[in-house]
Amino acid sequence: MQTKILLDEEQMPKKWYNVQADMPSPLDPYLHPATHKPVVPDDLKAIFPMELIRQEVTTDRFVDIPEEVQDVLHLWRPSPLYRAHRLEKFLKTPAKIYYKWEGVSPAGSHKTNTSVPQAYYNMQAGIERIATETGAGQWGSALAFATMLYDLECTVYMVRSSYTQKPYRKSMMQAWGAECIPSPSTKTNSGRAVLEKDPETPGALGIAISEAVEDAATHANTNYALGSVLNHVCLHQTIIGQECREQLAMVDEYPDVVIGCVGGGSNFAGISLPFAGDKMTGKHKEIDIIGVEPASCPSLTKGSFTYDFGDVAGLTPLMKIYTLGHDFVPPSIHAGGLRYHGASPIVSRLVHDGVMRAVAYHQSEVFDAAKTFSRTEGIIVAPETSHAVKSAIDEALKCKKSGEAKTILFNCSGHGNFDMSAYDAYFAGQLVDYEYPDELIREAIGRIPKV
Amino acid sequence: MYRIGFVVNPVAGMGGAVGLKGTDGVLPEAVMRGAHPRSPARAMQALRLLAGAPVEILACSGAMGEEVLLDAGIVPSCIAYRYSGESTARDTKAAVKAFMEHGVDLIVFCGGDGTARDIAEVAGTNLPLLGIPAGVKMYSSVFALDPASAAAILRQAPDLRYHDAEIVDVDEEAYRSGELRTQVFCYVKSPHVPGRTQVTKGVFEDSDEDRAKDEIATFMLEILRDDTLYILGAGTTTEHLAVRMGCAKTLLGVDAVYGGNVIAADANEETLLGLLARYPRVRILVSPIGAQGFILGRGSQQISPAIVRMVGIRNIIILATPGKLSRTGVLYVDTGDAALDREFGTSIQVICGYRLAQRKRIGLPADADSRIPGAQPGIF
Repeated sequence: MQTKILLDEEQMPKKWYNVQADMPSPLDPYLHPATHKPVVPDDLKAIFPMELIRQEVTTDRFVDIPEEVQDVLHLWRPSPLYRAHRLEKFLKTPAKIYYKWEGVSPAGSHKTNTSVPQAYYNMQAGIERIATETGAGQWGSALAFATMLYDLECTVYMVRSSYTQKPYRKSMMQAWGAECIPSPSTKTNSGRAVLEKDPETPGALGIAISEAVEDAATHANTNYALGSVLNHVCLHQTIIGQECREQLAMVDEYPDVVIGCVGGGSNFAGISLPFAGDKMTGKHKEIDIIGVEPASCPSLTKGSFTYDFGDVAGLTPLMKIYTLGHDFVPPSIHAGGLRYHGASPIVSRLVHDGVMRAVAYHQSEVFDAAKTFSRTEGIIVAPETSHAVKSAIDEALKCKKSGEAKTILFNCSGHGNFDMSAYDAYFAGQLVDYEYPDELIREAIGRIPKV
Repeated sequence: MYRIGFVVNPVAGMGGAVGLKGTDGVLPEAVMRGAHPRSPARAMQALRLLAGAPVEILACSGAMGEEVLLDAGIVPSCIAYRYSGESTARDTKAAVKAFMEHGVDLIVFCGGDGTARDIAEVAGTNLPLLGIPAGVKMYSSVFALDPASAAAILRQAPDLRYHDAEIVDVDEEAYRSGELRTQVFCYVKSPHVPGRTQVTKGVFEDSDEDRAKDEIATFMLEILRDDTLYILGAGTTTEHLAVRMGCAKTLLGVDAVYGGNVIAADANEETLLGLLARYPRVRILVSPIGAQGFILGRGSQQISPAIVRMVGIRNIIILATPGKLSRTGVLYVDTGDAALDREFGTSIQVICGYRLAQRKRIGLPADADSRIPGAQPGIF
């Protein structure tokens, strides 16, 4: 009975897979926030290095992973693929459940897959400092680790509710030499504006993005880095899905269902885009690809597919995405990394086109699933990851009903070792099942910019 | 020093223990049936945990407080009210008046809904109340979950926050014949401990009730239309909304608002049915009532099953602050029409902030009665 399926270091993919090459029509262009005209590379030069701008728009099917980046990725990659024998047995399902364990990275999640190349390209471009935002702290710590490798300074604006709930994520960033500031802060105009309106705000990813973008745009030596949403971030994460495909092939499997949790969408994109490519090119037309989001912040299941800003202040380009409105402040759920008003343009488009689908769950039910997972497979997952676990369990239970022996693959994107206060709340019966009152909101006046 | 007026209703709860479903007007029979005072023991459980708390306690003489305080090793700073003979509701009211003259910050009482109502009648809506549960019926939301919780709250004084709490009036005559008729008597302030669950709830939830009511109102104002009749249930959340709509709603009644004007205040079922015949677009906005969180039925019987059916469940919007929801684990519907109650399903969306909702479980009305603070098995 094989539990772990492992690749050798030399089997780690040497190229990232770009799904844009296999999409039937190109993505809608980003629009300039002021002129509403398509963005040109020069517009992004103030905050991104040119290589990342190129990767953002390229339609080449593959992009080389620089050798220097591969060397760093080898610290934890290829990551293991597990067969969840114990979970299957517990569920009494005929389904075969596999999970890709990304918690083995130094920062404990998939985020380092993109923080390392992003820091590398910035270092190459002569940048001295990177400003970023973080929700649950996964991205902030991943970037702190990566910037340390390349001697860059790093400033992280951390969503205030997470900053309070997860003090040890902040400690990790400090251990790797980064500065971590609760957002909204008084350091930026956009932070001050939010605080003036609402001094007790829990903060949101969209607000923290505004602060980091403003910081980068107003300091010549500083660039911005985003841990999700953008095309180049999704591109870097495709190493996950490519490895999975290899690992499953080693046991003569190909997934019927691929699952990932969705905040901005990068870990979901990472595991699913190689398979979405197979689906769009007709190699595996039947595969079911599921993005899982919180019912409290359900951009894919309840949002509108339209142009919107990526941040609260409206500093980013307008992107064609599923969105709840850039001014929507999601409630303080424990899966802080999923508290984002929109979803990545690539994921949004593929959901819109029916290549993928989305489901949403409440907070307590995903913790039920996380508890089951910890008591069968042993791993205590991050609250974000628990969404994917919940969906995998539901799909496996459907198989139990139908008798189908489907192969289910999900991205076990990070560990929950810094999220034990969330588990405490769950075990004390104190989790609040927030949800998005979509019907009533639809009645309210839409404030998403019409383009 | 934070000053507390402490009053015990020595006979509270006696009727319940001997199957009388209340003590009002039947004390002699309760005694005849062998009932013993229950409230001193309940008060003692709380007071034992109060030693060293940063509070000054003003008391009533004898069984109305002094005795149990001394038994617990607490010397009251003064006996603000002395009574003789058997204590009655009149003594409770006189004691409250005396406490008010001494300028207390809070009244802590040990009793049930009847005691709460007596106190609120004198204290009005501005002096906060906290109940140590000892009565037969405790539908009001001024009661701590149990005596130990009351002590835990008082130990946090003066760093207390206050929520709006309903004093619910139960018709004891009807109650004894198996019918539960309740109505909200008034709203008072009642303390809870701020930040007790800080780790588990975001900053948003810990902020005060008024801010939450304002967020709810802001969201609702985005939705309200001039061509729709709004039936607003009782309570401070709907009252706050009415204020933001620019109209004056009755706090305890059900009002109908159209085009920003109250067109029927404190309306009964008949009035509401008349309005439904004239207005094609109607929505009901209600907030959970009482310690048990009844959305419909108890406390708002005017919104009858017939009205609910005509308006449609999908046109009912439930509003409640996060604070209220955190104190109310499960919500209940008890319209009097069990089939209609079931149509609400097993969970419901409650608007709790600006463009924000929670999903709350709906329980069976029978379960609500067993969840009354301090309820003894077998009483109901």
